Amino acid sequence: MKKKRHTLMKVVFLGPAVLSYLAVFLYPTLRTTVMSFFKVDSITDAVSKWSFAGLDNYRTLFSSELFLRSMRNIAGIWLYGGLLVFALALLLAAILTSGVRLKSFFRAVIYLPNVISAVAMGTMWMQYVYSSRYGLLKSTFKTLGLEGLSAVQWTSPEHIFGALLVAYCFGMVGYFMLIFMAGIEKIPADFYEVATIEGAGKFKQFRHITMPLMKGVMRTSIVLWTISTVVFFIWSMVFSPLNPEPGTVTPMVYMYQMVFGANMVVTERNVGAGAAVGVLLSLMVLAIFIVSSKAIRDDGLEF
Amino acid sequence: MKRTFAIALALLVAVAAATAAPAVKLVYWSMWNQTEPQAQVLEAAIRDFEAKNAGVKVEINWNGREIRKTLQPALDNKQVIDLWDEDTERVVKTWGAYALKLDAYLAKSYPSTGGKAYKDAVMGSLVNLARSYAADKGLYAVPYQPFVFAFMYNKEHFDKAGIKTAPKTWDELLAAMAKLKAAGFTPMTVDDAYMDTLPGYYLARAKGYPWVEQLVKDKTNAMWSDPAVLQMAKAFENLAKSGYLSKTVASNKWPAGQQDVAAGDVTMYLNGTWLVNEIMGSTGPDFKWGTFSFPTVPGGKDDQTAANFGAQAFQINKNCKNPDVAFALIAHLTTGKWDAELAKKSYGVPVGGTTDWPVQLAEAKAIFNNLKTCYPWAAGIQANVDKLPVISENFTKLVGGTITAEQFVAAMKK
Repeated sequence: MKKKRHTLMKVVFLGPAVLSYLAVFLYPTLRTTVMSFFKVDSITDAVSKWSFAGLDNYRTLFSSELFLRSMRNIAGIWLYGGLLVFALALLLAAILTSGVRLKSFFRAVIYLPNVISAVAMGTMWMQYVYSSRYGLLKSTFKTLGLEGLSAVQWTSPEHIFGALLVAYCFGMVGYFMLIFMAGIEKIPADFYEVATIEGAGKFKQFRHITMPLMKGVMRTSIVLWTISTVVFFIWSMVFSPLNPEPGTVTPMVYMYQMVFGANMVVTERNVGAGAAVGVLLSLMVLAIFIVSSKAIRDDGLEF
Repeated sequence: MKRTFAIALALLVAVAAATAAPAVKLVYWSMWNQTEPQAQVLEAAIRDFEAKNAGVKVEINWNGREIRKTLQPALDNKQVIDLWDEDTERVVKTWGAYALKLDAYLAKSYPSTGGKAYKDAVMGSLVNLARSYAADKGLYAVPYQPFVFAFMYNKEHFDKAGIKTAPKTWDELLAAMAKLKAAGFTPMTVDDAYMDTLPGYYLARAKGYPWVEQLVKDKTNAMWSDPAVLQMAKAFENLAKSGYLSKTVASNKWPAGQQDVAAGDVTMYLNGTWLVNEIMGSTGPDFKWGTFSFPTVPGGKDDQTAANFGAQAFQINKNCKNPDVAFALIAHLTTGKWDAELAKKSYGVPVGGTTDWPVQLAEAKAIFNNLKTCYPWAAGIQANVDKLPVISENFTKLVGGTITAEQFVAAMKK
């Protein structure tokens, strides 16, 4: 009798969640995976119009210079952007949790870019900060008398990847700073008091107390950073709105072009190849998740 | 009593009027955003059509250019959409399978065609263009808002620099640029969005557009060794070295370059005739526009009779329940009064053969009347979407002066 009630409870409580998950996540995942082995012209084509293509879509991707470039670009964003964002976010989090005045003011200011729409932020960077005619960088360097720097064409093919990276990281620092601050504030203050009494300086405390106790937070942050890099799309679209550009193209942008066609001209669409991009990206996220779980073990410390 | 009766009667009439469904309802998905001048004219024209045809009601859904992504899924899901519009090539090639064949309507006359058959009231070249994209060469779209792609320039700069006639050859272009530079103007600029049109047009003038399409699709990259490619690269390297291009050309992000033209800092910009309307907010209506076709190049094959021209076009759903009314609406929008109004308000080209052109496009009219060959967009250089970004990137470096013509060719062959 008792057991039966439990089963009913499980069904009632888990049912809606499981069903929604299956319908909203699992079904599209499976369909996309199947689609990646077919040649499909339009995303809404009936399954009867698909034609089996084997691994052709994957071959197309790996022979496309643009797709390979897009993979290199997200690798660059992940590594360089990751180092930049994590270093700055950790530094700021450590400073703001060390008892400085106006903590909540600075926290709000640094987090502010996350509140503004990415499209607005991107356009501001693109059309204002980097403008080679009246841009913020140009006029600032000019005022400082740095003629060479003020003449740099920030959005030319040579510099656009760096320009994109800086603009994107600018906003992300605040986001991760907030996560790190929460992680640091969770660590009991007594640990630091003891360390101070024992004569450990701020840097030593950071290295031997903060960092080890932030392992779990770090691991989560790396997974979050990876996912946001893999699905990197809006900033790339804002920086190259019409046609993808080698310096800013990402797999998602490439996928978008494959699925919906090029913007200016009529070209053949290849939804299957787009689906294949999706499958590859999912595998990448999964791989990073497994690697980071294995590499950064949770020590099971309770504090 | 009388009063009660009157009120009851009035109510009855009101209820009857409110419940009477329109005899014909059309759903139009538009490529325009409601704030654009084209949309405003079309909406007024549609309301006029409703007033003239009692019982007809048109529901408009302003999609903007997002229609490129939204229309087909909606049609696949059997949503009722009677007519829609987008670029002629796109509607015929991508959505042709959903469209009604319209050849039979061309011979009919409509109130706005002045007693003539529809086909005699509009520019025949456009109808032929729409036919050329269809596999069976039938008519699946009705063009309107035509454009031609050519050099749009500031006529005042030309006058001040003492340039009497617009350049027809590359050498004449160089001479004109030298005069402009001497007069203190920056002769030319380009935005990232149109970067590829320059090499595309040059190569098409040199070898014809089918060759350009072959070139970019050539998987071995051997065709890039053709002397025409180096000649093109040298020509633009020379423009960069001579200081004929805007200093910011390598970093221009659309619309930065065309705004320089609007501000009167730069003279020429290779673009569509839509540019006049696009930057009207910055130039004002008194800006003196000129248009000249891309010049011929030394040893080249094509001349000014070839250019990328096209139009937006209406299409009727093959499942439309009232195709006759839908076509009558299209005729109403694309001929007579409303064609002229659309051209006037959007500073665009009218479809009607005898309709007046906006003064800003006077020189474009001469180009239009001279056209024999229609280039694809950017003269075919976009035919391979995987190669295109690499071409654009390296060409940007070339006009920015950071690589040489030889380095450009080498990069293309990689």
